[in-house]
Amino acid sequence: MAATEPELRVPIAGLLGWLLPGAGHLFIGDRARGIIFITAIAVTFWGGVAIGGVKGTVDPGKRKLWFLGQICAGSHALAALAWSNHIPGPPQDDPSSLIAYNRAEEISVVYTAICGMLNILVIFDVLVRAEKGPAVTAQRGPPGKARGAST
Amino acid sequence: MTETLAQIMIHPLSLSRWQQMLLLLPLCLTISVVYKTTKCADLREVPLAALVSWVTIVVGMYAVGAALLLLSEWAM
Repeated sequence: MAATEPELRVPIAGLLGWLLPGAGHLFIGDRARGIIFITAIAVTFWGGVAIGGVKGTVDPGKRKLWFLGQICAGSHALAALAWSNHIPGPPQDDPSSLIAYNRAEEISVVYTAICGMLNILVIFDVLVRAEKGPAVTAQRGPPGKARGAST
Repeated sequence: MTETLAQIMIHPLSLSRWQQMLLLLPLCLTISVVYKTTKCADLREVPLAALVSWVTIVVGMYAVGAALLLLSEWAM
């Protein structure tokens, strides 16, 4: 897949990177990095959902701005949203069984939104690596440091 | 297995204050790992770089939290 035309390589890598965080890196052939991103973002996103419950965590009607952050995590947020919509509203006798009325809900929203923000970083990273090509990608150092600098 | 996982995701947790504070640790770890994975040219450098970054963030965040707590106590 790394042999795709350069004009298509960058947008496809970016789109895949949004759809499944880390998949863009797999697409350009940077497998180890891709696996790290897939694992780190998926575990943190669904760990956040587990803290606050899916119904209260992903709620675009109640928390629009937070949802903008969450949706940057791509398929994770879409799956959580679909699942949240699928679950009926909380029962009248015990609403706290589905909705957290304490800090757990806030923590879960922060966890999932930060995953989305991290995925923006990952998408920018894959866009740069895809544009430079596989040979340069492997040698790319941290931004701001020239290769071969003595300090 | 699937049913158990689904139940974990559906029902929210009830957290004590200490548990809430401890949940900062895994979040900071993810931030450190993802950030350092984008920055490091050689992936073998990531664990140490992420550890240093994680400790820095955690110490910094708890220091800010403690300072704000003291300030709020003093202001009250």
